[in-house]
Parts: sequence; C-alpha cells; structure tokens
Amino acid sequence: MSLSQRQLALLLIAPGLALVAALFLYPLCFSLISAFTGPQGGFSLQAFAKAYELYSGDILFTVIIVLASCLLTGLVATIIAGTLTLGENRFIVGTLKALYRWPLFIPFIVAAQCMRTFLAKNGLMNNSFVAMGLMEPLQAMSFLDWRGIIATFVWKQTPFVALLLAGALAALDRATLEAGRNLGASRLRVLVELALPQVMPQLLVALVLSFVTMLSVLSVPMMVAGSQPTMLTVDMAFRINAYGDYSTANALGVITYLISAGAAIIYLKRGMAQEGTR
Amino acid sequence: MRIITLACSLAALIVASPLSAQTLNVASAGDQNMVDYVKDYLGPMFEKAHPGVKVVSVGTGPGDSGSQKIYEKLDAQKGAATTDFDVVVIHQKAAGQMVKEGLLNKYTANVDTSKLVSSETAKNSLGADVSGYVMPMFQSQTALAYNADMLKNPPANFTELKEWVKKNPKQFGYNGIKGGMSGVAFVAGWVYAFGGDADKLIQGPYDAAEKAKWDKAFAELKEFNKNAVITPGNAGTLDMLNRGEIAMGPVWVDMFYSWQADGKLPPSMKLKLASPGMPGQPMYYAVPEKSAQKKLAEEFIALATSPQVQADGIVKKFNWYPGIDAKNLEGKLDKAAWDKLFTDITPAELAKNGKPFPIAPYFNDILEGYEKKVAN
Repeated sequence: MSLSQRQLALLLIAPGLALVAALFLYPLCFSLISAFTGPQGGFSLQAFAKAYELYSGDILFTVIIVLASCLLTGLVATIIAGTLTLGENRFIVGTLKALYRWPLFIPFIVAAQCMRTFLAKNGLMNNSFVAMGLMEPLQAMSFLDWRGIIATFVWKQTPFVALLLAGALAALDRATLEAGRNLGASRLRVLVELALPQVMPQLLVALVLSFVTMLSVLSVPMMVAGSQPTMLTVDMAFRINAYGDYSTANALGVITYLISAGAAIIYLKRGMAQEGTR
Repeated sequence: MRIITLACSLAALIVASPLSAQTLNVASAGDQNMVDYVKDYLGPMFEKAHPGVKVVSVGTGPGDSGSQKIYEKLDAQKGAATTDFDVVVIHQKAAGQMVKEGLLNKYTANVDTSKLVSSETAKNSLGADVSGYVMPMFQSQTALAYNADMLKNPPANFTELKEWVKKNPKQFGYNGIKGGMSGVAFVAGWVYAFGGDADKLIQGPYDAAEKAKWDKAFAELKEFNKNAVITPGNAGTLDMLNRGEIAMGPVWVDMFYSWQADGKLPPSMKLKLASPGMPGQPMYYAVPEKSAQKKLAEEFIALATSPQVQADGIVKKFNWYPGIDAKNLEGKLDKAAWDKLFTDITPAELAKNGKPFPIAPYFNDILEGYEKKVAN
C-alpha cells in the first residue's frame, strides 16, 4: 500500500500532535473538568464561587499589575528601540545596544531576588541615593509591594519587546523617515507619527506575549511583595499547598485563561481588521 | 510495538537490577538544608556502616507543598508493586492524611530508638493518630525575633504586642499566610490568644461552630495588619530585621540561629516566645507502605534518631530541638551547644508556650478565615 501525499503529511506531524495532545491538551482538559466539578462529583460552579469570594481582589490586582506593566514596558521599549533606530549620537546608541539585552538572559527568579535587595527600604537603591546626598535616610521607603512587582516585570520584559520592535523599525523603508526629517519634523515626531504606526502589529504581538508571560510568573510576586493582595499564581499555589484544593486552583487557572484569552482576542481582532484593509 | 516492549522491559530490568536493589531513596520535604543533611551527613555515615548501599537524597520543596508532592507520588504509585521512595521526611498535615489512606508502614516497633521518643507529636499529628507510623526527626519552633537595640522590653504577650504595634507602626513584620509557615504560626498564635479556647483547637474534637468565635480576633488582626508590614516570606522577615527596617517579626528558631551563626543577623537580635505561645512542629521520618527496602529504611531511621546523631546533626548543626527526648542527649553534647538553644527561650518557657499547630480541620478554618476576613 502506498501512502498518498496527504496521509504522509499526517504521518509526519503525528508525533508532534501526539506530544501536544499528551502534554498540553490532556492536562488542560483535566484542569477544566476539575474546575467545574463539585466536591461530590458532578457539575458545579462552587469552585468559581469560592475563587470569587476569596480572590476577587487578587484577580483585579493581577489584571491591573499586568496591564500597567505592559503599558510601561511598551513605553520604555519604544524609547529604546526609537533611540536605536533614529538616534544620531553614536556613543549613546552603541552603549544602549550593548546593554539593553542583558535582562533577557536573567531568569525571573533571579531578577526577583536582585530586586528584593535593590528596592528594599534600606536596599541598594535607597542607600546609593543617600550616599550621593540626593535623599535623607528618613525619606527612604520600601518599594517591595506592587511597585516592586511592576518594576521587576518592566525591567525583565522591556528588552524582549525592544528587541522585536527594533528589528521591525530597522526593516522600515528609511526613505519615508528621512523625508520626514528633511521636511523639518523632530526625531520624536518621526518616531511617533511615521515609524510607530508602521510597526504597531509587531509591538502589539510583543506586548501580548509579554502580557501572557507576566500573568504566569509565580516567583516575582512571591519574592518581591507581601501576600495581601497578591497575584493569582500565588493564590493557585497556596490553594494546592495549604488545602490540597485543586478545584479552586483550577478555577483560578480558568480565570487566568480567560484573561489571557482577552488579550489574544484583542490581538486577533486587530490582525483581522488589518487583513481586511489589505 | 514488539521492539518497544522489549526495550521497555530491558530498561525496567536495568533499573531493577541487584546493583540498585541496594539503593535507599530518601525524599525530604523542607528546605535545601534538609536535603543536604541527608546527602552530606546522614547518607555517607549510613553508607559506611552498610557497605554496598547507596543513599540517594531528593528534595520536594519547602513547606506543606513539599509534603503534598510526596503524598501525590505515593498516592499515584498506590497500585504499583513498589514505590520510588524508601524513607520520607514529611510535615504534620500530610502525615495524618497518609496514615489514614494507608500509604505509610507501621514501622516504629522495629526501631529501637523509638523508645527514646516521648513527645506527644509522635502519636498525634494535628489530631490524626499516627502512633507507630512516624518518628520525629526534630522539633522546630516559631518565636518573635526582635532587635534588642531598638527594643529593650519586648512584649510578653499578644495583648502587649498589639499595643506595641499600635504605638510603633510599621515596626512589626510578618509574612501573611501565603509566604511561609512562620506567618501561619503567628496567625495561629493570634487565634490562640484572642479566639477563645486554645486547648480545644489543639486537642479537638472538631466542632464547626467554633470558628464563629474568631470573628472578633480576625477583625482585630485586620486592624493590626494596617500597622504591620507584610514581608515576602520567612527569609524576607529575617532580611528586613537584618537591615533594620523592622524591629520585630515571627521567625523559625532554627533559621534564626543559623542566620546568626552565618553572620547574616547581628548579635543584637534576640528571641521571645510571647504568651500564650506560638506553634512549632516536628518533621517526621516515615516509611512508605510499598517501600522496596523496608529493613534498610528502618536501620536508616534508627541511625538518624540515635542520640549521637541527634546531638551532632540536629542540635549542633541545625539548631533544631531534638526529635527524641532531650534527656537522652546528655553527655553527647557540650554545654555550650546545648545552652545556645536555650539562651533566649528557657526550657520552662518552651514547655509552657511552645504549642502545636491546631488540628487539621481547625487549621484549615483558620487559614480560610484569614483569607476571608483579614486579607480580603
């Protein structure tokens, strides 16, 4: 029996599909079912009621933290990528180029540990300010709360977004940008009005990916900030570790899927709209 | 298909060959120091006394989650002929459940040193009867650490503590209940102090109506939290004490002394076990019902709970209180090492204010009550 082209193709992707099914789809379905199962078995929304009752504040906290981090990441990444493409001072561009990618190579848990000593009340940052005479020791305050989480996320995700954005900006047709410059537009104006609109899709992809990544980090909220309020990942871990309660943890997981699905939908909608105009 | 079957059986044969039949797998819940304790200290000692035996030490992580992982593994291997672990080191909460579900072996009668154990926790684990199934590896205790430079007279009880925190906002730090057990212990101590009858929570029996009495205690704790700092974890509390950002906070006694010995905490830090007390807990040695090496496992635990090892390993190396009755350590330990453990907290204070955690159902109620009424 000879295989048709189609069968052969199916055969070739079978191992990959099997892996996805076994390592992703199966656990996903498992957790979905568990989230909707009551203590006595059978369909129940009890886990969601509990998740809402105990963690509604944390759900909101998570969304706000991740959105704020995304916005700031986008802003800082735009500044970095813009400077890299449009900057005219060779020294600044060279230094930035050499430096900006470093956080990419640092795992979240290490970043969290560094921030823990950096952002503390008597930590490296405040102590340096005091030593430089910029601040009185009594003015020092701890950033080990929501601000610490955002700072860690932004620091860690900016190079990733900047990398994608700088690539996209470098691929643009320089002629339009230079035409803008020749007609007297400032560099900022060229970046905001000419360059950015053309690379919006890439920026959006990078931000959606960052959004999902930040949503799933456990170590940073655990290590940088205290636990009230905290992010959903910490609550999920706590639900399992303290009570062995998988249903509520899975319900929180489903809520996290929904939040990240929201981000994906915004992205897809935008993609479709663009396809339509072409 | 046949090739796969063949390969699998071959692999299984290699794994189960007589060479590795002499491997003793020890799984520890708890921090890395406990994994290292077996790997670097107990393991080599046991291997020397039993030529041909290899001790493998694995860690499943700190806190109750570590024990939960061991429980899940044993539960998943219920149907198998043998389980991967031969000796497990677990927390109290999981021990009760494992005994109830028949995952552990009733081994202590075969181990001589079990006669040296007198503590109540060897029989009763948060309300579950575990006698015969476990032996304490050590006893650990939480207490309030404070900076003696900033604070001459530490609060003697929780009411004084409440007043002190009101007068000194943001000078007291603890890690809530999601950041580690010392915070949980503090909350349990709070409920013991203000939630009515502590003995009832510790001894049972469980009465679901009891938790209604804690509302006032939780409301006060919510108020208390406004003037307290929620730190990121056990180590976070110690970090902040060390940097002088807070003056007081609940910590594990052994962790406190170890940090002090390493120079990570200044000598001006002291401990206080405020009345009515805070919980401590043992870690248990247990043998899974389906362990392939029951005899070796028992010998291993006998060594680990022998007076000499308890003195050198548990007390001297880690500043834990011994798992066996302390009087058996006499003569095995120099006075300095022994006194160090009892400098700040006298044996009498420890006996009076060192409390167990509440029985499991109350324990869960306290945690959930905290989530509902304090953290939310």
